[in-house]
Parts: sequence; structure tokens; C-alpha cells
Amino acid sequence: MIEVLWHGRGGQGAFTAARLLGAAASLAEGTYALAFPSFGPERRGAPMRAFTKIDAAPIGDRSAVEQADYVVYLDETLLVPGWEKELKPGGVVLVNSTRDASSFRDGRIMPIDADGISSAVLGRPIPNTVFLGALCVLDNALTRENVEEAIRGYMPAKLHAKNVAIVAAAVEAATAALQASQASGSGTAAGDAAAADAAPGTAAAVGAASAEVAAPSAGAASGLAPDVARRLVQPGPRPDVRIPALCDEALDPAVFARTTCFRAGHLVAKNAGWRNLRPVIDRDACTMCLQCEFHCPDGAIYRASDGAGQAVAIDLDFCKGCGVCAKVCRFGAIDMVSEQAAASALASLAALDEKEACVR
Amino acid sequence: MALNAKTISQDEFFFGHKACAGCGGSLAVRAALKVLGPYAVAALPAGCMSAVGFNFPQLSFANNAMITPFAATAAVLSGIEAGLRVQGKKPDDCTVVGFAGDGGTADIGLQALSGAIDRNDDVLYICYDNEAYMNTGIQKSSLTPFGASTTTTPAGANVHGCLTQKKSLFEIVAAHGIPYAATASVGYLSDFVRKVERARDIRGTRYIHVIAPCPTGWGCPVDSMVDVARDIVDCGLWYLAEYEGPSVSGLPRGRFTLSRNPKTFTSVADYLHSQGRFKALSDEEIAQIEAARDETWTYLREHWA
Repeated sequence: MIEVLWHGRGGQGAFTAARLLGAAASLAEGTYALAFPSFGPERRGAPMRAFTKIDAAPIGDRSAVEQADYVVYLDETLLVPGWEKELKPGGVVLVNSTRDASSFRDGRIMPIDADGISSAVLGRPIPNTVFLGALCVLDNALTRENVEEAIRGYMPAKLHAKNVAIVAAAVEAATAALQASQASGSGTAAGDAAAADAAPGTAAAVGAASAEVAAPSAGAASGLAPDVARRLVQPGPRPDVRIPALCDEALDPAVFARTTCFRAGHLVAKNAGWRNLRPVIDRDACTMCLQCEFHCPDGAIYRASDGAGQAVAIDLDFCKGCGVCAKVCRFGAIDMVSEQAAASALASLAALDEKEACVR
Repeated sequence: MALNAKTISQDEFFFGHKACAGCGGSLAVRAALKVLGPYAVAALPAGCMSAVGFNFPQLSFANNAMITPFAATAAVLSGIEAGLRVQGKKPDDCTVVGFAGDGGTADIGLQALSGAIDRNDDVLYICYDNEAYMNTGIQKSSLTPFGASTTTTPAGANVHGCLTQKKSLFEIVAAHGIPYAATASVGYLSDFVRKVERARDIRGTRYIHVIAPCPTGWGCPVDSMVDVARDIVDCGLWYLAEYEGPSVSGLPRGRFTLSRNPKTFTSVADYLHSQGRFKALSDEEIAQIEAARDETWTYLREHWA
């Protein structure tokens, strides 16, 4: 059985892609497929998963895929340490990223600029069908003709031509990426999977040091101006206010039942992973009018103080990156900065501080 | 002291919830609970705010809060209030507050709300109006405005969206002779906060109807939620008003007041074009919406100004 695990955000079309993949695979003689999504009551932007199972016999097991031959990340921020646990030996991770394959330091991870490919055709990034093209290249069970037929069968007519064009561009990009990785010899897993081989190179890859997924290397250019990068450092923690607190211990029902009345709030999960953009505050422009704090739908903006006085700060555990704060700020003191740029800028700042400490 | 961005509580009573980024409803609940404080007891029917606030084992309310059957928000509020009072456990600063959506208020929960007002139970009912059943995937409610495309009133070649007009729930509630009712918008958040504060300090049934845009259902950018909520007021398609019933105003039929009476309106067409749900509307239909607005305001200015 070929199992595919899709990671996406609500609204990105992960389930549509999972379904189209199953539909395409099942067009081949004697092939069966199953596709279904998994999400909680969370909303648009929240991480969700979808699954596709493909087999030569009817599939009875309707449970979620624990380990997959292909794990697809429609959003790079969802690729976090521990990703390899979801991958079968010889499996391949496909991730929507503009980064170079070598920057992931693991041959099993194959980046594809799905946002770029889809934007070029659609005018906005809808990355899901790009990965159908990539999977055609990687797996012999899937043909481009069948993917195109699935698109024509399951998508609205006005989307057919554009998505067929996206698949064509994706096939080209994935073929080039595969050839590059085979030429360099680093992408053993991806190359082997494509050749439907016994994957001799994977054992070494499994044992290799964990890939660099969450934080891009410190040297990577963030594209942020140095003064904006400096502002990424938060002025201080939330003051002591009444607020539902994040609890990391296991839930004890007896305790839970007794903690009513304004200590009742009980949070076990952060919302930080929803965010692709983060607000960054320019303290020089900020007048402390507090309209941002007032209008934040998530209460993720608070007043903090440090050596330089009072300041507005962002609770990055719970900010969803909606950008309402930046819009209500009449002084232009809030910029929305991409999470990737923020992560790499913070890493370079840390490296810089370390260097300075060494010099001293 | 009047509450504003600087003086409002820094406590967060609705926090860590799973609403979409840029959700207007969650802003309304968050701001209202900051005014009402830690002893408020909240009740929410099926709807977005209960779906995103209670995800076991996660609880995003720092107040006591419970989920009610869909039709029963106001009835459950009556019960909570009576229960606390009979047990002698209702301090003066305990507001029993309900947060229901437009569907849970204007369609499904209307009879329970009418009953509570009739009994004049000491509860505050806040309707966060996002103009459709958003929790279940954007179906038309009786507060969906004319022309809005929803999954049950889809825009097609002949029909461009919802064919019915938005029900004037504020006037329906006021017609009961309720002690206090108000309309608001999260785009004018200080006005909303002031009205919640006013309602908190009045005894008897109080009702606040707050416009709370839903970027997912309205088809507008998530960061423009507050701007859209401001635009709907500025272009005159929503009004900010208060009603003080006989017990508060001393007048047998009560008193309506406009909280905001703009001399000129911004463009209705610009407001409608800022959202995907209105994109099928023809110029003729937009002119029709504008004419209806003018007629409404002629009445409002004559009787409520």
C-alpha cells in the first residue's frame, strides 16, 4: 500500500489534493484508493492533516496514516523536529519551500517552491495541486494523464486549465530537482523512491544527524532591515494578570473539576503554529495608544516594561498573525514580517551576540 | 471613569481560543468580558464562539461559562440567574451574560429571548452578528443582508445572493419594552464597550446587538476585519443606537437615540466591493441597497435623532 500524509492549514486545499491524488491513482486498472481529512473544531489557518491510501486491493483500514511513504507539507512552518517519525523507511518528504535542498541537510527532504509555481499560474499561492505533479515524478503508480483526468473530473470546470498547467510546471520542477539531487548524490532517498528501488542509501540517512528544519541557518539572509530585526526581541513577559494559562502537566480530572471561577481557563495548546506573519513593533513610532491591544481578537498584545520603559509586546504563543493590529495602528508602528524571515533574523542576531560575547 | 483602550482591564477572560485569525466574534466576546469582569457567568449556544472556546481539555474562558442548547440561550441565562439568586450566591458584580450568533438569536433562539424579556429576567444578552451561520459553513440566517452570497443563497447567473432583507432585530427587541437595548459594531469598539458597561449597571433584561465581521464568510482579508466593521457603519448600512425602555427612560414607549448620526456617508459600493460575498451584485442592485439605506436614515433621523 502507498500511503500519503498531507500536512496543511485549514483553507489551503490539503484535502482536495488528497482526494484528487486518490482519484487519479484509482483510474489505473485494478487500483483502489481512499482519501479523508482529519481536523478538530479549529478554524481556517489551523494545522490539519489529510490522508491518501492507494492499494491493489480494496482498502478496509480507514484509520489515520501513522507512517507514510510520502509526507507532504503544504506549509513549511508545519515541518518541525520529529518529522522523521511519520516517514516509512525509504519515504520522501515534500515541502513547500523556496529553500535549497541542501539547506535541509537531509536527503529525504525535497523542497518544491509550490507557492511560486502556483502563483505564476493563478496569481496567488494555492500550493496543493503542485504536489500532485511532484508525486507523478516520484511514484510510478501515478501518471500525469490520470492526475489531469482527476482534475477534470473533480474540480470546477473553470479551474481545469490552470491546474493542468500547474501540474505540468510541477512535473518539470520535480524532475529537475530529482536530477539535481541524483547528480549531487545527496538526495539518495528521493532518488531511490523514484526508481522504486530497495533504497540502499536510506539506512544511513535515518541514522544521520537530525535535519535542520525548524530554524534556518544563522547565516541565511532574512531580508529584514537590521533595525526591524532588532525589534523582534520582546521587551518583557506578560504582567501578572488573570488569564487562562498554558498548562503543560497531564490533565487530572479532579483538579480540573475544582478549578472553576476565573482560574478555570485551561489551555493545553499554543496557537503559534497558525501564523505565517508576525507583528513587529517599532517602539520609536509607538505612542502607547494601545489601540492594537484593544482590538486584538486573541488578546495576544500586552503591556510590558523593561529598562527602556513601558512598551507594547506580542504574546507569540497565541498570536495568529491576523494583522488587525497593524491595520488599526494609526502611527505605522507595526510591521507584519514573515515567520521565516523573523526566525532567520533572530538566529543571526543570536549568532552576532555570541560573537560579541566571545570578543569581550 | 469611562472605559477605553487605556483604562480597560488587562485581564484576558477569553483567551487561547481556536477562532479563525481576525475573527470579529471573538473580539466582541473578549472585549465584553473585560468589561463584565471575573464574576460574570457566560452561556453560549452552539455556534462559533462555543466551538472555538471549549475544546476539551482546553477551556478558553477564565469566567464560568457553559454551552446551552441552540434554541435556549436566553432560557439558560434565566435559569443561571434564578439559580444563583435563590442560592444567595449572586454578588452584585456578577453579570449573567449570553453570547449568541445571529442564527442563534434571530432564528433559533428568538422565542427564548422574547420570553426572558417578557419576564424581565436580570440577564444581558449579546448577539454577535456575522450575518450568517458561519460555524456550519456559511448558511443564510434571517440577519443575512440582501445580496450576500452564502452556501444556501449562492450567487448565480440570475440570482446574485440572498433575496431577503436583514431583519431589524434591535427594533423587535425594543418593541418588548426591554429596559435597555443597543446596537454596536466591533469597528467602533469604544462605543461597544461603553454600551456593555452601561448594560452591566442596569437591572432587568438587556440586549446588545454587535456587528462582528467574519473574514472567512464575508470574503475579506483577515487584517481588514476592524476596518470592514467600521465601514458598515460609515456607509450607513448599520446604525449605532440605543433604546431605553420605560423603566430606564421614564417614558411610556421608551426612547430611541442614535449614538452616531453621520452627516455624510461613505460609499455603499466601496463597502460591498470590499467583500467576496457581494461580488455578483449588479450596479442596479447596489443602487437599490443605497436607496433602502436612505429611506431607513430618513426615518431614523426623524424619530431617533
